[in-house]
Amino acid sequence: MKVAIKTAKKAASSGDSAALEMDSFVGLEREDLTILKLFLTWLKIGFTSFGGGAITQYLIQENFIYKHKWITAESYANIIGMCQITPGINIIAYTILIGKQLAGWLGIFVSVLGLILPSAAITVGISAIYMSLSQFHRVQSALHTVFAAIFGISLATNWRNIRPILRNNRQQGLLVFIVSLVILIGSGLIYVFFNPSVIVLYLLGGLSGSFIYWYVARKKVN
Amino acid sequence: MNWFLFFWVVFKAILFSTGGFGPLPSLHTDFLANGWATETQFAEALSIGQITPGPNGLWVVSLCYLVAGIPGAVLSCIALLIPPLFVLFVQQCYNRIAHLPATQGLLDGVVLVIASFSIIVLMGMFQSSGVDVLTVTIATVSAVLAVTRRVSINLILVVAAVIGAVMG
Repeated sequence: MKVAIKTAKKAASSGDSAALEMDSFVGLEREDLTILKLFLTWLKIGFTSFGGGAITQYLIQENFIYKHKWITAESYANIIGMCQITPGINIIAYTILIGKQLAGWLGIFVSVLGLILPSAAITVGISAIYMSLSQFHRVQSALHTVFAAIFGISLATNWRNIRPILRNNRQQGLLVFIVSLVILIGSGLIYVFFNPSVIVLYLLGGLSGSFIYWYVARKKVN
Repeated sequence: MNWFLFFWVVFKAILFSTGGFGPLPSLHTDFLANGWATETQFAEALSIGQITPGPNGLWVVSLCYLVAGIPGAVLSCIALLIPPLFVLFVQQCYNRIAHLPATQGLLDGVVLVIASFSIIVLMGMFQSSGVDVLTVTIATVSAVLAVTRRVSINLILVVAAVIGAVMG
């Protein structure tokens, strides 16, 4: 606990009010946190998370919640919730919030740098290797079948993203369920036949969803 | 290459989407319209992005490197890092708006649109990359395995790569 308080004081001196939430420290035998250690932890994740986002998320939980105990599972769940309504890559948003909670603006800086620098460099490196090997038939053939697997996996991922929405909306009533299906199928049809700017369709889908949820909630109250 | 336009196209795609594959439809439309990339390069970048460490969204870095070299990769990194900073603003208001039905409706609506787009775009790429019995089988088996979560995604990708290298 002594260590935890020391860390809390250190975080407080960096001017981050979120780090002062003492409830996130209670009951934790935290490892002492320094900026260097924070940077190295992210660097390690950035270097070793071969296999993309799923592996990266696993390593973030593993390091920050279970190994170093720098954040609690509860505050991590909150972080995930907030990152769903943030533009861009969710994992970078996780990195920003974790960095901020632990060490303020400097924490954000070292966390993002530590994660992105190695993983982006390796991505560029592998892309370069691919470019020089792409004339080999076997390499192309391997990437070709990997893409087939990714196509299959992405069908599963998208299905898993929409399944809870459709299931939940069916319970909410026929109207909401039909509107969800119309957004899902309608946006696809509009895209194929009219090819409008993608942003227009996001707005259309988002606002339709927003309106119907608001309308149904209001009707329930009345 | 007009670097300012290039940056804007990538930045805009990321700013108005969420998740690693969110920017795909917008990037696909703009890169093809500007003649910067081919369907094949998209498929290659997506595959490379799955193998390499870090968020899946780094496939955008691979794509930009394949079509515009190191300057493209650096610009895409900057474009990837700015939009998620918006989360700091979200954190400020999250507690106030999280419980509103309209907030959830907005999120769900966008997720539905993204899912619909992504499947259409990926299907187009899959088709143009050459559909045969082998690739359809791999895609189907991968989808089933991913939904049932019987095996890790990494294993699926490794096995697919080995099958491709051996059969190729």
